[in-house]
Amino acid sequence: MNDTFLISIVTFIYFFAAFVFLISIIFNKKSVDKWSLIITVAGLMLQTSAIIMRWIHSYQLGIGHAPLSNFYESLVFFSWSIIFVYLIMRRRYQNSFVGILSAFSAFLILSYASLSGNVNCTIQPLIPALQSNWLISHVISSFLAYACFAIAFGTSILYLLKIKTKAGIAGLLPDATFLDEVTYKMISIGFVLLTLCIITGAAWADRAWGRYWGWDPKETWSLITWLIYGTFLHARLARGWDGLKMSVISIAGFIAVIFTYLGVNYVLSGLHSYL
Amino acid sequence: MIKKLHKLFSSVKLTIFLFLFLAVTSVLGTIIQQGLPLERYEAIYSPGVFGILKFLDIFDMYHSWWFLLLLVLLSINTTICTSRQIPRIIKLIFPEKKEVDDTVFRSSQIRKAFQSQKKLSDIERQAGILVKSLIGNPVKTVKNDTIYFFAEKGKYSRLGMIFVHISVLLILAGGLTGTMLGFNGQMNIVEGEKSDTVTLFGGKGTEKLGFDVRCDDFTIKFYESGMPKEYKTDLTIIDDKKKAATGVMRVNHPFTYKGLKFCQATYGIAGVSDFFIGVRNNKTGEKTVLKPEIMKKVPLPDSNASFAIARFVTDHDGMGPAVLGVLLEPGKAQHDIFWIFQNGHNINQQQKSGFIFTLENFSRLYYTGIQVSKDPGVPLVWIGFCLITAGFILSLFFTHKRIWLRISGSQDKYEISIAASVSKNRKTFEERLERLTGEITLE
Repeated sequence: MNDTFLISIVTFIYFFAAFVFLISIIFNKKSVDKWSLIITVAGLMLQTSAIIMRWIHSYQLGIGHAPLSNFYESLVFFSWSIIFVYLIMRRRYQNSFVGILSAFSAFLILSYASLSGNVNCTIQPLIPALQSNWLISHVISSFLAYACFAIAFGTSILYLLKIKTKAGIAGLLPDATFLDEVTYKMISIGFVLLTLCIITGAAWADRAWGRYWGWDPKETWSLITWLIYGTFLHARLARGWDGLKMSVISIAGFIAVIFTYLGVNYVLSGLHSYL
Repeated sequence: MIKKLHKLFSSVKLTIFLFLFLAVTSVLGTIIQQGLPLERYEAIYSPGVFGILKFLDIFDMYHSWWFLLLLVLLSINTTICTSRQIPRIIKLIFPEKKEVDDTVFRSSQIRKAFQSQKKLSDIERQAGILVKSLIGNPVKTVKNDTIYFFAEKGKYSRLGMIFVHISVLLILAGGLTGTMLGFNGQMNIVEGEKSDTVTLFGGKGTEKLGFDVRCDDFTIKFYESGMPKEYKTDLTIIDDKKKAATGVMRVNHPFTYKGLKFCQATYGIAGVSDFFIGVRNNKTGEKTVLKPEIMKKVPLPDSNASFAIARFVTDHDGMGPAVLGVLLEPGKAQHDIFWIFQNGHNINQQQKSGFIFTLENFSRLYYTGIQVSKDPGVPLVWIGFCLITAGFILSLFFTHKRIWLRISGSQDKYEISIAASVSKNRKTFEERLERLTGEITLE
């Protein structure tokens, strides 16, 4: 059994979970939502075992390291983080729409990881720059932060749909105040995780390059993301901006997240060329 | 005027403006590559655009006067806003009067009042249970036949936000200290040689270390796949003409001396020496290995011809390292000039006048690229990082909760008033309060 094969099964499980979430919304049945939850949890458990398997496999190849070191592994971990964060936030903010968005985006990310020709899924040895104890904490904090921001992005889009469309889908959508609160919660937790990501990155950069901050494009974009979400939190806590403005900032923040994650590597050049 | 300035700097509007302005301008520096020599920019932009960009220091914008000004404004803004919060927070953590206060029952975020006809002892017992299960053990006070309960938890979580803002100031101060008192540059040292001069990044000249750094050895290890596994430099510090320290520097494992950090940044081949050229005589079938120096003639065995190498390249036409060989035969007007490769590449070209030439071996002389940095601001930044983490933990995982409960009135008609305040998760708290008070009245 190969870990990449398991990942392709997980890809279908997440697609199926999104589909069942959709059914639970259309027929408005709590019991169906429970099933989609069970399917999502099963998907996450299988994905977790695939990640552990890949970890063990790398040791069998004699190049043992955590599976967080190339683009393929980062995509797999990103989708894992989205589902993980969704399952945690679901305990307080249960909603099938957020479930659809999470499961479907995890499905899309994994499909891209498996099917795109740009993504190499072989286990590669660690180049010297990545041989550091900071790797695991830095990557985990960054992807958990990205996952929180991704969910906040989803709820912000739903919020805009809710307040801008009068008929049709707006009736099915959750309450505007509910969406606004989920966005706020996800961003405040994501902001703390992003701060930890920047701190661990700075500590690592200090050992690898002799400086904790060097205005490398990836560093700068993480700061831009931090500033945008910092704006969100200050505007919300101290100025009490309305939900419309807040969702616009949340969407802008997520565009910065995507640019920090991908754009810097594909559009700009810098020290972070290995992601 | 001063009043107006104070008002401006104590507003969150300014914070939001500065955050967004910093974010937008920071994008510029990731699009326009930073710190290249000015000639490179002159070649890209038209003179007018170049003039504007140069005036605004866009080519090194993160160290420009206006970017620094934005950071200074942000620091002032943060300092004033935070210091204005401190008295309020201190009051919350260490309230002055311990006397019971009835105003909370009119002004608190969360309020509730109901009546009960039960016995006072029952009400009191249940009120105690309510307060305890919501927050913690209550303090009971009796004043003018009125009973008060009070409980509080997590008041120190209020310090979280203060910590976070102070640490942002510490990090900014650390960054400023580093920019003013530190430096960052690179030195390339060939194996066996030494240097005391660092070339600073961004074309800022050089910096003398005051001691010599000697590169004793540089080694690379590869994985089986050919990917690099380890870069390592053995260093010796010669200070005051004495061997002061020796050490090993690898990627992610810097070497430090006198507060300076030496990081393995790059490497390269500084030169090659000791060429071993295999020469096979096709007639006799005998192979000899020559060791010619560059541009020095050597006689070929069993022949009156002689041979020399003109130069070396690390890679010729993608076929790897090669030397340019020159064959000198008496009686021939022109010398025969041809490339000699390793591993028998391009064997036809290497066959000359009855000889087959191969590049058997040569030794590489590496140079190691060391990134040298000095940053006295680092401790401030580290303290800031620890404090910001502590601050986030305090404000994320702890909630300041307070509850006041008052039992007034007389027999058969007791009035119970509840007031509470929580620093976050108000909805959850209210739901629990609702459920627990329901239990009291139902019984």
